[in-house]
Amino acid sequence: MESIRYNDMEFSVEKDGDRWTLTYGLPGGSKAVAGAGLFAGLSESEARTRALALVKTIFPVGVRSVGPDVMHPNMIGDLKIVGPDVAHPNFVYWNKDSVSSPKDL
Amino acid sequence: MEIKGSVALVTGGGNGIGEAVVKYFAGHGAKVAVVDMVQKNIDRVVKDVQEMGGEAVGIQANVTIEADTARFIKGTIEAFGKLNIAVSSAGIIRDGTMLSLDKETGKVSKKLGFDKWQAVIDTNLSGTFLTMRDAAEAMVNGGWPGLLVPISSVNKCGQVGQINYSSAKVADALMPKIIIGEFLMRGIRNIRCVAIAPGYTATPMLTGMNQDALKAILEDVHLGRLVAPEEIASMIGYCVENEALNATTIEITGGLCYPKGIAK
Ligand SMILES: NC(=O)c1ccc[n+]([C@@H]2O[C@H](COP(=O)([O-])OP(=O)(O)OC[C@H]3O[C@@H](n4cnc5c(N)ncnc54)[C@H](O)[C@@H]3O)[C@@H](O)[C@H]2O)c1
Repeated sequence: MESIRYNDMEFSVEKDGDRWTLTYGLPGGSKAVAGAGLFAGLSESEARTRALALVKTIFPVGVRSVGPDVMHPNMIGDLKIVGPDVAHPNFVYWNKDSVSSPKDL
Repeated sequence: MEIKGSVALVTGGGNGIGEAVVKYFAGHGAKVAVVDMVQKNIDRVVKDVQEMGGEAVGIQANVTIEADTARFIKGTIEAFGKLNIAVSSAGIIRDGTMLSLDKETGKVSKKLGFDKWQAVIDTNLSGTFLTMRDAAEAMVNGGWPGLLVPISSVNKCGQVGQINYSSAKVADALMPKIIIGEFLMRGIRNIRCVAIAPGYTATPMLTGMNQDALKAILEDVHLGRLVAPEEIASMIGYCVENEALNATTIEITGGLCYPKGIAK
């Protein structure tokens, strides 16, 4: 099946018996497994649709809290670095790809 | 609840006890989400499940990050349509006594770093809380029968050199009573919670321990050997199937007695 390109990541959905294996490329050229034995009995197009929905959930694009979080601010000299408050109602955590999200907002 | 046909999520599923739990569930017909920080371990475990003829997704995530927890719960449900079992096996150790003294002066030469305290509390306690909370939210909203399994430790009794770890694990052991008490109060009847407190188990985590201390502790184990991760996994499997087990913490230690050991 043709690979799926999503947010600069390349995913492959390969048939394994009546199931599907989902892998993606890592920066060094190696591959990581996102899922195996999935979508039993589904056709190629159905498996592709399910795989795309799954990768959008597992690899959401947009605001991502990495590094210091709000509960544990970091001090760098006199500067207090506070991460995003993910529980705040205004915290945006979207799972659309980076091309479509500006249009949706 | 039957394991066959269930959907399970295992944090720390890329290694040790978590890996054994993933394989036990997959071998008994459950679909499994393998959540771990280390992608190459996820790859290995998911491939093993595939070879067993099972179904698994691998989600790289850090259990101490709230947004990551939401992501791996959503990912599991997106892949398999529901969530029934959540096992919180992601854990770390950063051992050390709170104070170390200089032999000559008798004064404090070193304190346990706050980073060592914080990392263990974040992973072993806050990580477990977030996984249990968000898994329970999904199970309540989905109306699915569920089991929450925090992984505590026999060292919840208080082990020297592990003030961070024991503090987290005693709190994990309390979770089932509190969670189920609250569920009773709120009329939530579809979810059970049973914590598991393993004894010394043959996993890579023990390689990070003081090996002399480990040898001394093994002398106090009636079974005379480390517990196997598969033995912990089959106990968790039993907890899934026996609906009378609830609001409790089960020790599985091979008969650890500590008569000559360190914990009091
Ligand atoms: N091995 C023992 O003797 C023993 C005894 C009692 C309790 N336990 C508990 O059992 C659990 C599993 O221990 P183990 O011996 O299998 O350990 P392990 O080190 O073999 O595996 C732990 C896994 O958790 C993952 N992990 C660590 N931090 C994480 C994070 N922030 N987010 C996501 N994943 C993370 C690691 O990558 C690793 O794959 C732990 O909670 C541990 O405290 C172990």
